[in-house]
Amino acid sequence: MNSNALCFGADCPATGLPCRVDVTPIGIAVRFEDRSAAQDDAEAVPFDRLSLSAGGLDHDQLVVRYGSEPDARVLYVNDPAVIHALRGTAPNFVTGELDAAASMVRRKRRTRRISWIAVGALLLSLGTVLWFGSDLVVNLAVDRIPLEWEQKLGEAAYHDFLGRQTVIKEGPAVDAVGEMTRRLTDQIPDDPYRFEVTVVRSDVVNAFALPGGYVVVFTGLLQKAESGEEVAGVLSHEFNHVLRRHGLERVVKQVGLMTALSILLGDQQGLIGLTRQIGGELLTLKFGRAQETEADVTGLRLLHRAKIDSNGLVRFFERMAEQQHEPVEMLSTHPMSAARVERLKAEAAALPRQVVEPFTFDWKQVQGSLNVSR
Amino acid sequence: MKSEILYPGAFPMVRVELSAGETIKAESGAMVASSPTIDVESKMEGGFLGALSRKFLTGEKFFFQTLRASRGPGDVLLAPTVPGEIVVIELDGLNEYLVQKDGFLAGAETVKIDSQMQSLSRGLLGGEGFFILKLSGRGTLILNSFGAIHRIELKPDQEYIVDNSHLVAWSATTSYHVERAAAGWVASFTSGEGFVCRFQGPGVVYIQSRNPGGFGHWIRQFIPVSE
Repeated sequence: MNSNALCFGADCPATGLPCRVDVTPIGIAVRFEDRSAAQDDAEAVPFDRLSLSAGGLDHDQLVVRYGSEPDARVLYVNDPAVIHALRGTAPNFVTGELDAAASMVRRKRRTRRISWIAVGALLLSLGTVLWFGSDLVVNLAVDRIPLEWEQKLGEAAYHDFLGRQTVIKEGPAVDAVGEMTRRLTDQIPDDPYRFEVTVVRSDVVNAFALPGGYVVVFTGLLQKAESGEEVAGVLSHEFNHVLRRHGLERVVKQVGLMTALSILLGDQQGLIGLTRQIGGELLTLKFGRAQETEADVTGLRLLHRAKIDSNGLVRFFERMAEQQHEPVEMLSTHPMSAARVERLKAEAAALPRQVVEPFTFDWKQVQGSLNVSR
Repeated sequence: MKSEILYPGAFPMVRVELSAGETIKAESGAMVASSPTIDVESKMEGGFLGALSRKFLTGEKFFFQTLRASRGPGDVLLAPTVPGEIVVIELDGLNEYLVQKDGFLAGAETVKIDSQMQSLSRGLLGGEGFFILKLSGRGTLILNSFGAIHRIELKPDQEYIVDNSHLVAWSATTSYHVERAAAGWVASFTSGEGFVCRFQGPGVVYIQSRNPGGFGHWIRQFIPVSE
């Protein structure tokens, strides 16, 4: 005998008694597995004594109830053949119960499906918001970082770097860079930073700015530049990285969105962790393309306000773009491209014409002083 | 296949006697010792995708180990990772059991293992996660618990309430829904119970006398925190 159901009742074990349910023209016949052949008198239950519903953990079983206490029986049928047979032979009041149970199961399953779809959609939209909103979160976090923190962060990296370098403390080059810095910073309205520019002896053609307004110019850049205006152009570009807090943005992005969120939620521990984590990484920080463009454009406008010939910046970048194939460090941290130069030219052309005020120093003399002191 | 629980209590083992050619699947790493006639094979039950879904959905192991008496009869000693009792259930082909992910220790080859998704409320609040194991078919099924294992028998429509993290296994003829332990939200959590599962018979529910999450929480306070 192949059992297809479990029978529960007062005299059955808790796990149910295996039994076989067959549909007859007048009702159902229930046979139990463990009865001897002599006792094999099937329990016949007419249709009008049956009550049908869906049951079990997932409502995937047909529950057939009959009899009254204490002899009430509950059958759990997990056999589609029994359901088909019932549909074919049972009178309307039985199939009606079957239909009601089936529609209840469908309703339950639909509710479950909808709730899962809703959760999926929620997760998806949350992911989308985080993905596209990460810049927003980073910017909000950067806005919340107090200036003192930014300065401490930059200062630590600055002194750490200078300690390992040959700093040029005086001379025509330092004076010239000082003059450029003054001319530029005088034109920054409500400048919260105290810009500090140091000339470092190195053949590297580069300059970089740390958060907080700490700028380093290498003698390599001074020697490669053909005029003071070119160096002033690079300085103006670097100053604008600081003013726009580009360095902090990169740092926050690098340490991760979670830190950004914790800063946003006012967790000062996040900031302490941040300073620890980045250490010297500040020096190798690379800016994004959008940040470079922003610093180019705002740098150009600052030059214009300071009445410094903005063609210097354009010319310098143009020469750098032509030397793309040469191993110049400037290019690795400030990737040049013809498109970038073209954009700068267009921006420069759009600015109103003005009379430029030349610097007081003689550029050839400044460059000469670098060779002499070597 | 014959099985016998050795050292019943907190640190039991189960000894399974296999006749020649017979196999048993066990949780990966469950084998303690065996006769030299037994070969250990690793198998992805339910194929690669089945194993993958089991691994990622239920948190169960990717591989099950298959112990085969390929060179004559022999016996195998199996033990779970956590201290706790072992229970042996004979599946009759009709009764199916749902088992929380850490509850399965071993089963005859004829026992079918599937991972099944729970409803949102059960998955979120029931304490077993969104996916559980569904064990069906015929043959010996060996479950393990954390702490002692207790069997609750439910008559049709009889109800019983179980704290959500104490569940081990329950038969598919039972039904349950998750509800707050006390009438109010605050009381539910201040009572330390949070959510409970209201089971309705008929069928059996196996519960464990200790809550693994609660134990982990308790032991964490003694672990020195290194800077």
